[in-house]
Amino acid sequence: MKLALQNILHDRGRFSVTVLGVSFAVFLMVFQGSLLSGFLQAASRLIDASDSDIWITARGVQAFEFGTALESRVREMAAGVPGVTDTSRVCMAFAVYRTPVGKQQVVALVGADPGVGRRFPVPDRLESAGEMSPDAVLYDVSDRKQIDVNELPAEVEINRHRASIEREIRGYGAFLGVPFLFTSYRNAVRYMDSGPEQGMYILLRVDQSYSISQVQQNLKQRLPEVDVLTQDEFAHKSRMYWTIKTGAGGAILTAAVLGFLIGLVVVSQTIYANTMENIEEYATLKALGASQAFVARIVLSQALICGMIGSVLGLLAVIPSINYAKSLIPWIHAPWWLPGAMVVPSLAMCSLASIVSVRSALTVEPGRVFRA
Amino acid sequence: MPKLFLGIEEASVSFGQGEARVRALRDVSLTFEKGTLSLLMGPSGSGKTTLLSMLGCLLSPDKGTVFVDGEAVNELSEAGRTVIRQKKISFVFQAFRLFHSLSALDNVALGFEIRDAAASGREEMARDLLLQFGLADKLNLEPNELSPGEKQRVAIARALAGNPPILLADEPTASLDAEAGKNICKILRRQVDDQGRTVVVVSHDPRWEKFADRTITLCDGRVEEQVGVL
Ligand SMILES: Nc1ncnc2c1ncn2[C@@H]1O[C@H](COP(=O)(O)OP(=O)(O)O)[C@@H](O)[C@H]1O
Ligand SMILES: [Mg+2]
Repeated sequence: MKLALQNILHDRGRFSVTVLGVSFAVFLMVFQGSLLSGFLQAASRLIDASDSDIWITARGVQAFEFGTALESRVREMAAGVPGVTDTSRVCMAFAVYRTPVGKQQVVALVGADPGVGRRFPVPDRLESAGEMSPDAVLYDVSDRKQIDVNELPAEVEINRHRASIEREIRGYGAFLGVPFLFTSYRNAVRYMDSGPEQGMYILLRVDQSYSISQVQQNLKQRLPEVDVLTQDEFAHKSRMYWTIKTGAGGAILTAAVLGFLIGLVVVSQTIYANTMENIEEYATLKALGASQAFVARIVLSQALICGMIGSVLGLLAVIPSINYAKSLIPWIHAPWWLPGAMVVPSLAMCSLASIVSVRSALTVEPGRVFRA
Repeated sequence: MPKLFLGIEEASVSFGQGEARVRALRDVSLTFEKGTLSLLMGPSGSGKTTLLSMLGCLLSPDKGTVFVDGEAVNELSEAGRTVIRQKKISFVFQAFRLFHSLSALDNVALGFEIRDAAASGREEMARDLLLQFGLADKLNLEPNELSPGEKQRVAIARALAGNPPILLADEPTASLDAEAGKNICKILRRQVDDQGRTVVVVSHDPRWEKFADRTITLCDGRVEEQVGVL
């Protein structure tokens, strides 16, 4: 397939446009893919961080960020259902935060009982908590600027209550645009000025000898006025809300699809122009006895060689870009397999883009070699 | 009657429809013996190229039969005729038709690749052929760096790659100066004398007559005259 390679080298100007088109498509597909993946992850991050089996929410709650209070009897009734071994409360509310120097800022305050799970960021549960009062308040590193404390612990105010920021944590950045603060449930309801018996979410753990779905059915019957979801169901619901119902996922995907389409058009135009420029040579090849497969392979190889080079360049550009973007979009996340996996649609794009060119090369009449 | 090695029987070809219909060949029968060089002459538009295209399995007659190596090929499918070309027939063109992006060596090596994709040592074989044609110092030059005479020698080397028994040339010397043209005449003659190939040359160039075993003159799609041994 030296001919394919040499044709590329001889038409460098045009094929660098092809390569650029592929790079552009790969860049956008990987970048948007990372946005989507990070967005999905962030949309259910706190739900996934809990160790519970079942979440009880107020009827119709779509996402973790939009809970409302449950009556306290819900927790008592849930605790009485056979198989339920543990109940914990989680609440979330927006609050006014005052930095040590007196600047005000809206924050999302999350409080949780110690039983929610070891990965859930609450002071007396966090594995790395060390010496920390249970009423300590934690914030994510990505919100450092807005939290604006110089040293820890720092005395701040939350809804006019004194609070102590004690720890910076990692990996709990969110996309709401307001910083998250994490503390114990008891402490959070104090800041929220709501009764301690209320909760927004009741998290249940189910004894291993019981089937989770059986317990879930049972709970649904006894608590018909609330939603009873397994952890996976609530995580899924939350992700679907943020990606589908808000249209954010569609917007992200649209950009990726656009990248694919623009790449497709650029690649097909340039490959086609080169094929037509060399159409007499394809006729010569066929006159000399080259099979259809031989001819098709040359055109396709040109597209795939450009596809491979373009993919590598696109990946070389997108990986540092994603790392840079992390400072602006903390939740962006490229799964390890994503960059490699995007080579597949990029090569598929190149193959698709060369269909018309392959057809032209295949249908050229070898008989024309004596004319022209 | 023994099967023809290369030839046509009662072949007619026309192009276009109705008023615009052109009868390029009218009931032509011709045979080309193995190991001969035949020259096809005749005025422009007399059907020479059409005849050569038919012999080269590039065109099927409207009626009549085309024989290549004893086989009637006009009923074959496009793929079948491609295989005949791949195995048995090669071409030399007035405009050379080299692959512009490939060196002389790679042009010839591609000729080998088309004829036998699995063959090893294609480059060595290509080099040998080019050395025979006095192109030792041009192996790595691209077509646009070669003189017309050199291009035609590379094209002939490419045509001979894979050792096809039949060589069809349409005006192979029309783009060359006298010196280079004579060189090509000699090279093609040698293919007949030394290799036993069957060569058909279309040309207006009277110089070819003394290299040809036979001269066929076409006029208006008919054979007007045949001179020389059959
Ligand atoms: N593909 C074609 N379409 C229409 N007319 C053609 C075609 N090929 C050849 N002809 C016509 O057939 C006649 C014979 O052409 P050709 O075989 O090329 O003659 P020559 O090679 O002797 O000049 C000419 O009148 C030419 O115009
Ligand atoms: Mg002609």
